[in-house]
Amino acid sequence: MLRLIIDKELREIIGSTKFAVTFGVMSLLILLAFYVGARNYQISTQDYEAAVAENLKQMEGLTDWNRVDNRIFLKPEPLTALVSGISNDIGRTVEIQTQWEPRSEDSRFNEDPIYAVFRFIDLEFIFSIVLSLFAILFVYDAVNGEKERGTLRLAFANAVPRDKYILGKLIGSFVALAVPLLVPILIGCGLLPLLGVSMDSSSWIRLGIVIAAGLMYLGVFLTLSIFVSSMTERSSSSFLLLLVVWIFAVLIIPRTAVFVAGRAVDVPTVDAIDFQKSSYMSQLWDEDMKKMDEFRRSPAGQAEAQEDRRRRWRAYMSQLADERTEKIDAFAQRLNEDRRNRDLARQRVALGIARISPASVFTLAATDLAGTSLDLKNRFDVAARAYREAYTRFIVDKTGSSGAGWWMSGNNQDAEEINPYELPAFEYQAAPVSDYVTSALPDLAILMLFNFAFFAGAFLAFLRYDVR
Amino acid sequence: MEPPEYSAAGLASRSDTPLLEAVELTKEYEDGTVALRAVSFEVYPGQVYAMLGGNGAGKTTAINLFLNFIEPTSGEARVDGIVTHKEPLRAKERLAYVSENVMLYPNFTAMQNVDFFARLGGQTRYKREDYARVLTRVGLQESAFDRRLRGFSKGMRQKCGIAIAILKNAPAILLDEPTSGLDPKAGMEFIHLLESLRDEGKAILMSTHDIFRAKEVADVVGIMNEGSLVMQRSREELEGENLEKLYVEYMAGYMENAQRN
Repeated sequence: MLRLIIDKELREIIGSTKFAVTFGVMSLLILLAFYVGARNYQISTQDYEAAVAENLKQMEGLTDWNRVDNRIFLKPEPLTALVSGISNDIGRTVEIQTQWEPRSEDSRFNEDPIYAVFRFIDLEFIFSIVLSLFAILFVYDAVNGEKERGTLRLAFANAVPRDKYILGKLIGSFVALAVPLLVPILIGCGLLPLLGVSMDSSSWIRLGIVIAAGLMYLGVFLTLSIFVSSMTERSSSSFLLLLVVWIFAVLIIPRTAVFVAGRAVDVPTVDAIDFQKSSYMSQLWDEDMKKMDEFRRSPAGQAEAQEDRRRRWRAYMSQLADERTEKIDAFAQRLNEDRRNRDLARQRVALGIARISPASVFTLAATDLAGTSLDLKNRFDVAARAYREAYTRFIVDKTGSSGAGWWMSGNNQDAEEINPYELPAFEYQAAPVSDYVTSALPDLAILMLFNFAFFAGAFLAFLRYDVR
Repeated sequence: MEPPEYSAAGLASRSDTPLLEAVELTKEYEDGTVALRAVSFEVYPGQVYAMLGGNGAGKTTAINLFLNFIEPTSGEARVDGIVTHKEPLRAKERLAYVSENVMLYPNFTAMQNVDFFARLGGQTRYKREDYARVLTRVGLQESAFDRRLRGFSKGMRQKCGIAIAILKNAPAILLDEPTSGLDPKAGMEFIHLLESLRDEGKAILMSTHDIFRAKEVADVVGIMNEGSLVMQRSREELEGENLEKLYVEYMAGYMENAQRN
């Protein structure tokens, strides 16, 4: 019986013109997403390699490590080709200075602002926006439409258990939509290596889970549609209701969540933090200026030669600069930590509210798995800060100081050229696959919960449904 | 309310056990509307029972109770002795149903539709030839077998619906206004088909407005009005009677009684 109903549902959906059009559009979109994603990945990889080479090249000929203008770059991840997340929004370049905090700049959208307006087509977009809408279009009249057509009455004139009927409808519509969806995705996956995207095993595993999450998300909208269809008498009512739910789930709730969180948790702006830092820096600088004046006014030892005094001055300057850097760093760290904590609190509020929407839950799961969630920026920032420490140690090792006061101390023109390749290498290390999966697990669980809740609702509503 | 007249005379050909039984069947909706008032009747194998009555008389409610689409307020609808609201699935195994306006899946062909509903009715061994034979029997042209239902006329859909009922091979058949909207030729073909099903031993309960068809094919005619069975007579009892006149008289008489009470 169950198989018969599934088979009927499959044939009914697949045999419709609506399906042919939808399948064509979906296939085109998915293949386009793979192509566009792969092209973007290629461009990003080329940009990255060129930037790394250029960074080293511009150091050639320098004789003083303190004059090095060092930058690090975020290496593109293969999965960003398919689930871009925030990867195009965050800065991919960080200027590393011993005396300045690292700050990322130069995002993809900075270069191509048009994409910030319209965004790229990627798998996450196709699933969360297009697929959810198609799911509604196919299933909004699953129950009440059959009643309107009179087929439900005829079907239930037979010894058909209602639980099997509703389960068959769900499975049938799921398979009818999922299988044709998987076909272009598998073709796209097969094309990835040909399009120059080299996926390692971790990326394949994560992509597999992203697709599974997408299917769970499809299930959410199917069960929701069957639920609403079982609760309403007319298919036009269920369609309108589902459209409203879709608009709220996909468009309104995520944006509202960010707005509400912004109101609930106050986070100082980067400019405000910078202002505090620069005020503190000015204060330290004023104090150091006094110390420098005192040094200048202190009488030189009788036996002290001019050159020795200059060396002592340089050492004193360097010491002051190091102390200043240390104090600024500690102060900045406190401010940054406070800002980060507030930011995290705001994120928690925003994401907590956003998770009311299955679309947000799917987006969070997919970007977590692809490594392009909010965590990408945190990881890159942490990596940049760690690199800055390594870089500072390297500079101290090479020059004897952090170089904070190099411009006051003059430049050694006669020294040998530096070898830029001695610089500690920076490579953004992707987390192990288990980390991505672990961070996505709560959202995957919520997607499952949505499925169960809506199916239970549909099931109970259909048990009491008037099939006449 | 007077009990309906009923005589078992003329039902000599029936078997002893009724396949369809309404026992004091009553249905009152939550808003207080009484759709059926203690209606009792029986339909035996090899018998056609025609329920006559106007709109809102309770004919479709009675059929809905047999199909367990609704539950009775009191009384019982039984199919082969099985109380429908207690064991609906078992009861439905013994029932086939043709609605007033047969609606099937428009994207499926006639063959695909009859195949699906035959399987849903528990008949899984049929082959294409079996479907073709039954579709031919109900008068559907062979060229229509593999056409989608989308372009079918009401008569063609009705034929498919009857084919589905035949294919289910159930001992009892419920027909809800089956000739409504059919042209005279199709109506006549349908009556012949009904006769042949009766000859096969099916118990057929048919609701209809059509007095002419009812008289032509029914072994027992019941007249319903405002949820009550106001008259019930066998073919023999109706011999020489003008059913149309009886119908009008009973309706009028019932209304007078109702007004007096």
